[in-house]
Amino acid sequence: MHDVHVVITVLVLVGVLTTLPRVLKGPTLMDRILAVNVIGTKTIVLLALVGFLQVELGIARGAPANDYARAGFWLDVALAYSLINFIATIAVLKYLERRARSPDVSNSEELA
Amino acid sequence: MRETPSLIVRYVARRAVPFIQLYALYVLGHGEDGPGGGFQGGVIFASSFVLLALAYGWGQGRKHVPEKLFDLLAPAGCLLYAGIGFVALLVGGAFLQYEAFVGEGADHATKHHAHHFGLIGIELGVMLTVTASMVILFFEMSRPDEEGAFGDGASQEDVEALHDGSAATEEAPDA
Repeated sequence: MHDVHVVITVLVLVGVLTTLPRVLKGPTLMDRILAVNVIGTKTIVLLALVGFLQVELGIARGAPANDYARAGFWLDVALAYSLINFIATIAVLKYLERRARSPDVSNSEELA
Repeated sequence: MRETPSLIVRYVARRAVPFIQLYALYVLGHGEDGPGGGFQGGVIFASSFVLLALAYGWGQGRKHVPEKLFDLLAPAGCLLYAGIGFVALLVGGAFLQYEAFVGEGADHATKHHAHHFGLIGIELGVMLTVTASMVILFFEMSRPDEEGAFGDGASQEDVEALHDGSAATEEAPDA
Protein backbone atom coordinates (compact mmCIF):
# COMPACT_ATOMS: atom_id res chain seq x y z
CA MET A 1 0.00 0.00 0.00
CA HIS A 2 2.71 2.47 0.89
CA ASP A 3 4.33 1.97 -2.54
CA VAL A 4 1.37 3.83 -4.02
CA HIS A 5 1.87 6.59 -1.48
CA VAL A 6 5.55 6.88 -2.29
CA VAL A 7 4.81 7.17 -6.02
CA ILE A 8 2.14 9.83 -5.49
CA THR A 9 4.41 11.80 -3.13
CA VAL A 10 7.26 11.78 -5.65
CA LEU A 11 4.85 12.86 -8.41
CA VAL A 12 3.63 15.82 -6.36
CA LEU A 13 7.25 16.69 -5.59
CA VAL A 14 8.01 16.69 -9.31
CA GLY A 15 5.02 18.96 -9.76
CA VAL A 16 6.53 21.40 -7.26
CA LEU A 17 9.88 21.30 -9.04
CA THR A 18 8.30 22.04 -12.43
CA THR A 19 6.56 25.08 -10.93
CA LEU A 20 9.79 26.43 -9.47
CA PRO A 21 11.17 27.96 -12.72
CA ARG A 22 7.95 29.97 -13.03
CA VAL A 23 8.66 31.48 -9.61
CA LEU A 24 12.28 32.25 -10.44
CA LYS A 25 11.84 33.82 -13.87
CA GLY A 26 8.11 34.25 -14.43
CA PRO A 27 7.82 37.10 -16.93
CA THR A 28 5.17 38.95 -14.92
CA LEU A 29 4.63 39.37 -11.20
CA MET A 30 1.30 37.60 -11.42
CA ASP A 31 3.03 34.50 -12.78
CA ARG A 32 5.27 34.41 -9.75
CA ILE A 33 2.39 34.88 -7.32
CA LEU A 34 0.34 32.18 -8.99
CA ALA A 35 3.32 29.82 -9.00
CA VAL A 36 4.01 30.45 -5.31
CA ASN A 37 0.35 29.78 -4.61
CA VAL A 38 0.49 26.51 -6.58
CA ILE A 39 3.58 25.44 -4.63
CA GLY A 40 1.78 26.26 -1.39
CA THR A 41 -1.20 24.15 -2.40
CA LYS A 42 1.07 21.27 -3.39
CA THR A 43 2.86 21.57 -0.07
CA ILE A 44 -0.44 21.03 1.70
CA VAL A 45 -1.02 17.86 -0.32
CA LEU A 46 2.54 16.78 0.38
CA LEU A 47 2.06 17.26 4.14
CA ALA A 48 -1.04 15.08 4.09
CA LEU A 49 0.70 12.44 1.94
CA VAL A 50 3.79 12.34 4.15
CA GLY A 51 1.55 11.96 7.20
CA PHE A 52 -0.15 8.89 5.74
CA LEU A 53 3.18 7.61 4.45
CA GLN A 54 4.56 7.69 7.98
CA VAL A 55 1.53 5.76 9.24
CA GLU A 56 1.85 3.18 6.45
CA LEU A 57 5.52 2.68 7.20
CA GLY A 58 4.72 2.32 10.89
CA ILE A 59 2.11 -0.37 10.11
CA ALA A 60 4.58 -2.15 7.84
CA ARG A 61 7.02 -2.24 10.76
CA GLY A 62 4.50 -3.74 13.13
CA ALA A 63 2.42 -0.84 14.51
CA PRO A 64 -1.30 -1.60 15.03
CA ALA A 65 -3.29 -1.46 11.79
CA ASN A 66 -5.66 1.25 13.06
CA ASP A 67 -2.83 3.72 13.71
CA TYR A 68 -4.19 6.31 11.28
CA ALA A 69 -4.88 8.83 14.05
CA ARG A 70 -1.20 9.72 13.98
CA ALA A 71 -1.65 11.26 10.53
CA GLY A 72 -3.90 13.79 12.25
CA PHE A 73 -0.85 15.74 13.42
CA TRP A 74 0.23 16.23 9.84
CA LEU A 75 -3.29 17.15 8.77
CA ASP A 76 -3.37 19.81 11.50
CA VAL A 77 -0.18 21.32 10.13
CA ALA A 78 -1.57 21.12 6.59
CA LEU A 79 -4.74 22.92 7.65
CA ALA A 80 -2.79 25.72 9.34
CA TYR A 81 -0.54 25.96 6.29
CA SER A 82 -3.52 26.34 3.97
CA LEU A 83 -4.89 29.17 6.12
CA ILE A 84 -1.58 31.03 6.11
CA ASN A 85 -1.21 30.42 2.37
CA PHE A 86 -4.62 31.91 1.67
CA ILE A 87 -4.07 34.99 3.83
CA ALA A 88 -0.57 35.57 2.48
CA THR A 89 -1.79 35.49 -1.13
CA ILE A 90 -4.55 37.98 -0.38
CA ALA A 91 -2.08 40.24 1.44
CA VAL A 92 0.40 40.26 -1.47
CA LEU A 93 -2.36 40.89 -3.99
CA LYS A 94 -3.70 43.70 -1.83
CA TYR A 95 -0.27 45.32 -1.78
CA LEU A 96 0.04 45.04 -5.56
CA GLU A 97 -3.45 46.44 -6.04
CA ARG A 98 -2.55 49.52 -3.99
CA ARG A 99 0.68 49.96 -5.93
CA ALA A 100 -1.14 49.65 -9.25
CA ARG A 101 -3.56 52.41 -8.22
CA SER A 102 -0.94 55.07 -7.67
CA PRO A 103 -0.88 57.45 -10.66
CA ASP A 104 2.74 57.33 -11.84
CA VAL A 105 3.66 53.70 -11.60
CA SER A 106 6.39 53.23 -14.15
CA ASN A 107 6.21 49.45 -14.13
CA SER A 108 2.45 49.14 -14.48
CA GLU A 109 2.83 46.87 -17.50
CA GLU A 110 4.54 44.41 -15.19
CA LEU A 111 1.40 44.23 -13.10
CA ALA A 112 -0.91 43.58 -16.01
CA MET B 1 -6.23 50.07 3.17
CA ARG B 2 -9.69 50.17 1.74
CA GLU B 3 -12.28 47.46 1.23
CA THR B 4 -11.29 45.01 -1.46
CA PRO B 5 -13.43 45.32 -4.58
CA SER B 6 -13.65 41.56 -4.98
CA LEU B 7 -16.95 40.17 -3.72
CA ILE B 8 -15.48 36.66 -3.65
CA VAL B 9 -12.63 37.61 -1.33
CA ARG B 10 -14.98 39.46 1.00
CA TYR B 11 -17.47 36.57 1.06
CA VAL B 12 -14.79 33.93 1.65
CA ALA B 13 -13.18 36.03 4.37
CA ARG B 14 -16.48 36.52 6.15
CA ARG B 15 -17.27 32.80 5.99
CA ALA B 16 -13.75 31.67 6.92
CA VAL B 17 -13.20 33.84 9.99
CA PRO B 18 -15.32 31.78 12.45
CA PHE B 19 -13.69 28.57 11.29
CA ILE B 20 -10.22 30.04 11.63
CA GLN B 21 -11.00 31.11 15.18
CA LEU B 22 -12.47 27.70 16.01
CA TYR B 23 -9.37 26.07 14.57
CA ALA B 24 -7.19 28.36 16.68
CA LEU B 25 -8.99 27.13 19.81
CA TYR B 26 -8.52 23.54 18.62
CA VAL B 27 -4.79 24.14 18.20
CA LEU B 28 -4.72 25.69 21.68
CA GLY B 29 -6.46 22.67 23.21
CA HIS B 30 -4.12 20.16 21.56
CA GLY B 31 -0.93 21.84 22.69
CA GLU B 32 0.01 19.01 25.04
CA ASP B 33 -0.27 16.01 22.73
CA GLY B 34 0.19 17.34 19.24
CA PRO B 35 1.52 20.21 17.19
CA GLY B 36 0.16 23.44 18.57
CA GLY B 37 -0.20 25.28 21.83
CA GLY B 38 -0.71 28.81 22.97
CA PHE B 39 1.65 30.56 20.60
CA GLN B 40 0.48 28.81 17.44
CA GLY B 41 -3.17 29.10 18.42
CA GLY B 42 -2.69 32.79 19.15
CA VAL B 43 -1.08 33.44 15.80
CA ILE B 44 -3.89 31.62 13.98
CA PHE B 45 -6.49 33.54 15.99
CA ALA B 46 -4.79 36.85 15.15
CA SER B 47 -4.62 35.89 11.47
CA SER B 48 -8.42 35.85 11.40
CA PHE B 49 -8.44 39.55 12.33
CA VAL B 50 -5.74 40.21 9.73
CA LEU B 51 -7.93 38.51 7.11
CA LEU B 52 -10.90 40.66 8.13
CA ALA B 53 -8.83 43.84 7.81
CA LEU B 54 -7.48 42.76 4.44
CA ALA B 55 -10.92 42.01 3.04
CA TYR B 56 -12.95 44.82 4.58
CA GLY B 57 -10.38 47.56 4.95
CA TRP B 58 -8.39 48.88 7.89
CA GLY B 59 -11.18 50.92 9.44
CA GLN B 60 -13.77 48.16 9.21
CA GLY B 61 -11.33 45.58 10.56
CA ARG B 62 -10.48 47.95 13.43
CA LYS B 63 -14.11 47.92 14.53
CA HIS B 64 -13.79 44.24 15.46
CA VAL B 65 -10.61 44.92 17.42
CA PRO B 66 -11.24 47.37 20.26
CA GLU B 67 -7.86 48.99 20.80
CA LYS B 68 -8.22 49.42 24.55
CA LEU B 69 -9.37 45.82 25.04
CA PHE B 70 -6.44 44.37 23.11
CA ASP B 71 -4.00 46.69 24.88
CA LEU B 72 -5.35 45.16 28.09
CA LEU B 73 -5.37 41.57 26.83
CA ALA B 74 -1.65 41.51 26.05
CA PRO B 75 -0.49 42.09 29.64
CA ALA B 76 -3.48 40.12 31.00
CA GLY B 77 -2.10 36.99 29.32
CA CYS B 78 1.29 37.50 30.96
CA LEU B 79 -0.49 38.07 34.25
CA LEU B 80 -2.46 34.81 33.86
CA TYR B 81 0.73 32.88 33.14
CA ALA B 82 2.72 34.36 36.01
CA GLY B 83 -0.33 34.32 38.26
CA ILE B 84 -0.80 30.57 37.91
CA GLY B 85 2.91 30.16 38.61
CA PHE B 86 2.80 32.28 41.74
CA VAL B 87 -0.44 30.70 43.02
CA ALA B 88 1.37 27.36 42.86
CA LEU B 89 4.15 29.01 44.84
CA LEU B 90 1.64 30.34 47.42
CA VAL B 91 0.01 26.96 48.08
CA GLY B 92 3.37 25.43 48.85
CA GLY B 93 4.71 24.10 45.57
CA ALA B 94 7.40 25.31 43.22
CA PHE B 95 6.79 28.00 40.59
CA LEU B 96 4.37 26.52 38.00
CA GLN B 97 4.15 23.20 39.84
CA TYR B 98 0.51 22.45 39.01
CA GLU B 99 0.34 19.34 41.22
CA ALA B 100 0.63 21.64 44.24
CA PHE B 101 -2.95 22.88 43.64
CA VAL B 102 -4.44 19.62 44.93
CA GLY B 103 -2.03 19.02 47.76
CA GLU B 104 0.32 16.19 48.61
CA GLY B 105 -2.29 13.63 49.61
CA ALA B 106 -4.25 13.62 46.32
CA ASP B 107 -4.29 10.46 44.23
CA HIS B 108 -2.54 10.14 40.91
CA ALA B 109 -5.58 10.89 38.72
CA THR B 110 -6.35 14.13 40.55
CA LYS B 111 -2.76 15.31 40.20
CA HIS B 112 -2.93 14.44 36.53
CA HIS B 113 -6.05 16.59 36.15
CA ALA B 114 -4.45 19.45 38.06
CA HIS B 115 -1.48 19.25 35.72
CA HIS B 116 -3.74 19.40 32.65
CA PHE B 117 -5.78 22.33 33.90
CA GLY B 118 -2.68 24.25 34.92
CA LEU B 119 -1.13 23.66 31.54
CA ILE B 120 -4.29 24.77 29.71
CA GLY B 121 -4.34 27.86 31.93
CA ILE B 122 -0.86 29.00 31.03
CA GLU B 123 -1.42 28.13 27.35
CA LEU B 124 -4.50 30.36 27.47
CA GLY B 125 -2.33 33.14 28.90
CA VAL B 126 0.21 32.70 26.12
CA MET B 127 -2.58 32.71 23.54
CA LEU B 128 -4.11 35.93 24.87
CA THR B 129 -0.76 37.72 24.82
CA VAL B 130 0.23 36.46 21.38
CA THR B 131 -3.16 37.22 19.81
CA ALA B 132 -3.26 40.73 21.23
CA SER B 133 0.37 41.47 20.34
CA MET B 134 -0.01 40.22 16.77
CA VAL B 135 -3.21 42.17 16.23
CA ILE B 136 -1.74 45.35 17.73
CA LEU B 137 1.41 44.99 15.62
CA PHE B 138 -0.55 44.43 12.41
CA PHE B 139 -2.94 47.32 12.91
CA GLU B 140 -0.19 49.71 13.97
CA MET B 141 2.09 48.80 11.08
CA SER B 142 -0.69 49.03 8.48
CA ARG B 143 -2.18 52.23 9.92
CA PRO B 144 -3.05 54.28 6.84
CA ASP B 145 -2.17 57.72 8.26
CA GLU B 146 1.05 59.41 9.33
CA GLU B 147 2.43 58.16 12.62
CA GLY B 148 -0.22 58.70 15.25
CA ALA B 149 -1.83 61.60 13.41
CA PHE B 150 -5.26 60.66 14.72
CA GLY B 151 -4.26 58.81 17.82
CA ASP B 152 -6.77 56.48 19.35
CA GLY B 153 -9.93 58.22 18.29
CA ALA B 154 -9.64 57.93 14.50
CA SER B 155 -13.06 57.31 13.04
CA GLN B 156 -13.41 55.14 10.01
CA GLU B 157 -14.37 58.11 7.86
CA ASP B 158 -11.25 60.00 8.93
CA VAL B 159 -9.01 57.10 8.11
CA GLU B 160 -10.69 56.34 4.79
CA ALA B 161 -10.74 59.97 3.73
CA LEU B 162 -7.09 60.43 4.51
CA HIS B 163 -6.22 57.23 2.75
CA ASP B 164 -8.15 58.12 -0.40
CA GLY B 165 -6.56 61.55 -0.55
CA SER B 166 -2.91 60.89 0.11
CA ALA B 167 -2.19 57.24 -0.49
CA ALA B 168 -1.20 57.82 -4.08
CA THR B 169 1.38 60.51 -3.35
CA GLU B 170 2.52 58.66 -0.25
CA GLU B 171 3.53 55.62 -2.27
CA ALA B 172 4.86 57.27 -5.35
CA PRO B 173 8.57 57.13 -4.35
CA ASP B 174 8.84 53.37 -4.07
CA ALA B 175 6.72 52.62 -7.11
